[in-house]
Amino acid sequence: MSKRTFQGGIHPYEGKELTEDKEIRPLLPKSDLVYPLSQHIGAPATPVVKKGDSVLVGQLIAQAGGFVSANIHSSVSGTVKCIEPRMTSNGVKVNSIVIENDGEYREVDAAPVLDDHKLTKEVIRQKVKDAGIVGMGGAGFPTHVKLTPQNDDEIDYVIVNCAECEPYITSDYRRMIEEPEKLVEGLKIVLKLFPNAQGILAVENNKPKAVKVLKELVESEERIVVQSLKTKYPQGAERQLIYVTTGRKIDSSMLPAHVGCVVNNVDTIVNIYRAIREGKPLTERVVTVTGDAVKEPGNFLVKLGTNCEELIEAAGGFVCEPEKVIAGGPMMGKAMSDIHVPSTKGLSALLSFKVDEVAKCEPSNCIRCGRCITVCPGRVVPSVLAKLAEQGNEEAFLANNGMECCECGCCSYVCPAKRPLTQVIAGTRKQILANKKK
Amino acid sequence: MTGLLNVSASPHVRDKKTTTSIMGDVIIALLPATIVGIYNFKLDALIIILLCIATCVLTEGLFQKIAKRKYTMTDLSAVVTGLLLALNLPSTVPFYIPILGSVFAILVVKQLFGGIGQNFMNPALAARCFLVISFTGKMTDFTYDAVSGPTPLALLKSGESVDLMDMFLGTTAGTIGETSALALLLGGVYLLVRGIISYRIPFFYIATVAVYAAIYSATSLGGFSLEYVAGHLLGGGLMIGAIFMATDYVTSPATPKGQIVFGIFLGLLTATFRIFGGSAEGVSYAIILGNLLVPMIEKFTMPKPFGPSKKDKAKKETKEKNEIMPNTVKLFLITLVSGALLGLVYAVTKDPIAEQNEKKQQEAYMSVFETADSFEELEGFDSEEAGKILEDGGFNGSDISGIVIALDSNKEALGYVVTVVSHEGYGGDIEFSVGISANGTVNGIEFLSIEETAGLGMNATKDEFKSQFTGKQVTAFVSTKSGAKAENEIDALTGATITTDAVTGSVNAAIYYCDYLEGGAGNE
Ligand code: SF4
Ligand code: SF4
Repeated sequence: MSKRTFQGGIHPYEGKELTEDKEIRPLLPKSDLVYPLSQHIGAPATPVVKKGDSVLVGQLIAQAGGFVSANIHSSVSGTVKCIEPRMTSNGVKVNSIVIENDGEYREVDAAPVLDDHKLTKEVIRQKVKDAGIVGMGGAGFPTHVKLTPQNDDEIDYVIVNCAECEPYITSDYRRMIEEPEKLVEGLKIVLKLFPNAQGILAVENNKPKAVKVLKELVESEERIVVQSLKTKYPQGAERQLIYVTTGRKIDSSMLPAHVGCVVNNVDTIVNIYRAIREGKPLTERVVTVTGDAVKEPGNFLVKLGTNCEELIEAAGGFVCEPEKVIAGGPMMGKAMSDIHVPSTKGLSALLSFKVDEVAKCEPSNCIRCGRCITVCPGRVVPSVLAKLAEQGNEEAFLANNGMECCECGCCSYVCPAKRPLTQVIAGTRKQILANKKK
Repeated sequence: MTGLLNVSASPHVRDKKTTTSIMGDVIIALLPATIVGIYNFKLDALIIILLCIATCVLTEGLFQKIAKRKYTMTDLSAVVTGLLLALNLPSTVPFYIPILGSVFAILVVKQLFGGIGQNFMNPALAARCFLVISFTGKMTDFTYDAVSGPTPLALLKSGESVDLMDMFLGTTAGTIGETSALALLLGGVYLLVRGIISYRIPFFYIATVAVYAAIYSATSLGGFSLEYVAGHLLGGGLMIGAIFMATDYVTSPATPKGQIVFGIFLGLLTATFRIFGGSAEGVSYAIILGNLLVPMIEKFTMPKPFGPSKKDKAKKETKEKNEIMPNTVKLFLITLVSGALLGLVYAVTKDPIAEQNEKKQQEAYMSVFETADSFEELEGFDSEEAGKILEDGGFNGSDISGIVIALDSNKEALGYVVTVVSHEGYGGDIEFSVGISANGTVNGIEFLSIEETAGLGMNATKDEFKSQFTGKQVTAFVSTKSGAKAENEIDALTGATITTDAVTGSVNAAIYYCDYLEGGAGNE
């Protein structure tokens, strides 16, 4: 397969060697579990339990609050302690269900596993929806919505984002290596929804093992191919991924379905497999706990709702007081003010740095070096957009295609003057989007 | 863990390159050219370089102190400006010129427009142009090995031949840093490898000049001449301009396509200036003019945002217009406007430069005919005819390239200043002027171009040698190795008999020619 790539992008320090050879270890929570009702894009879920109720593993505790929303299930057995606002990794308090863990992990009866011929499109979609599956790369868009385009026949490609282009994170990689069958089976289920589609497993070529394992598995699969992509950040960004795998382009105003594509994350596909073949809802995910501030970086199978502090402990605790802890990767992850927050569906990594290198950077004048322009995968002009954003000139910001920025962070990364380009551009984008909704 | 952690928006990692590290790389890249400059022009060059850097950094610091702005001296950009300015000065300028230029560059061009990143002209180049306009004479006085002479490009322009190897290595006349194409290219490669500049501007700039010169030589100079094209590429500061000045981030387009347009544009301007303009050098003006057009070039070369092309989208939305036409028209207009600006610059600088050349010429005549008050062209002089006359007289190795009449204050003729070319030099042609009184007395000789072996033949330019001819009235000089005794004997230069004979022979030719003129006049 050709090593296709896109224009722009960067090669930051990958940091994957810290955890890429660490097997996924299951982690059992010790303290209370917290389930924020809003850990996906769309309406918050509505609790279906109340204080004092006892719950089982896999039991529905909050129901999707609309079509674009997702169910939430308990990941342990125990008692509902309370429903109250709790701090999340985003730094905001969100109404959450708190469950006291009885440590017994009694499970609800798994949903019936159906024979293949009974798996109609409707059944698959319903099961994905019931299982509360969302995009697990971080965005958290409810998966059943993605899997429901206007016309199933117009979908030509189902792309699985196995690029994992964010530095440090290896959770998807470990899944690919350890449970490749589940990934391929999951993809086959999704392909049932789209009769004309080809499945593409898009892997960056810095993961030769994964490429090899997957290629062997899909050898006999007519509808699935593995594409090895050039290693470059942000190879896994949705628009770039669609372009490099299919040659089709979309802009910010379009959905992948407009060009006949559906894009999903590795863990998402694996969880579709679990929901359909094992009858289990989404209650756990793989999280990479890494960075130079933790003693023993590793990959963990985490029960959703587990306090992040326990993840750090599982990784041997901190070497020293970290200056920064990030939920997600270094490029697009969110810095957390406090690690006493629950792990959620979108948490792919917990990255701790001894030193916050960004805090040391003092922005100076733009020297017009053009680096930001060269690396921008959205092909916009970050230096100009940032200036307009700082001036609050939304009109000019829009005229200069500000909305085509995907907030990948490349421009800020390369800027020698250390200007916070992504930050101010993203700020203005959010404001414009918020105003639109009004 | 108690304290709150640092929170900031993503991304949380940064590339190691900083403004300071980039400036540091530029300085490293300039080192080869700096070293060649100091080697060529010795202490003079070193002093000028240090003066420029010190003045630039101090000016920046002082201004920021007075204006209460943040200090930026440590970002090394002022050092780069100072170094670049120094490399663009001739080594002979008096000390106040580097100081004045540095203050102008930093204060007027950079800081008054808001400091680093805000200036719209390259500070070092703008300062150089300012100096050329204000001190034309001192700024166009080029020497090499202490011999004042025209730059290779000036020779090329007047149709003479140049030594390409000298131009490549840098052993030729020019500003401190522009002479060695090799050293500059080394620096350019370093910048490319370190990712400081892209190939676009230098490549398209140099390529455009090459194509232009090739076409011009093929169509107007009677056949394509590789020497002519190579001379254009290696000479006149094109290398330093294309690699270091045109790629200055602040004053060149940041858009990739814009950089290509910019490079081609500079190439066209430079070649036009050089070939059709008043002076042989065109790089500085071309870049300064180009700088002014950068905002426009950038505007038309903004990258297209990632996404379906307009055409694809138009199928669905059918609203976007084709915008390519107006852009071409605009670019054409830009070229027209810049053409007009270009003419303007020449109007300003042409006369001073011509005047300066004229003055230099007069000074040269004066040095070989001290008693004269002014000089006048000899009417009806024809170099070819003169050559025949010499041949008839048995002077085969010499040619007369020019002759003027020396006049006293009453406009009475005193004699001639003959410019002779000897083809018998060891290292090529030797050109020099000889002042000869009407009675045949030699008043002095002065070299215009000479490329003999350093330390041997080059000693011909020393006063000791030259003065042997002065004040003598003979029909022919002869060289001797055994110590000059007779009036017409000239001490041969140690180890350079060929050079001595070449010069002596041509002096004799000049004497013969003057005698012919005087005699010829008498016959009429
Ligand atoms: S402008 Fe947006 S898309 Fe472009 S590099 Fe910056 S963050 Fe990425
Ligand atoms: S990378 Fe930074 S310094 Fe360079 S052009 Fe962009 S904003 Fe300016």
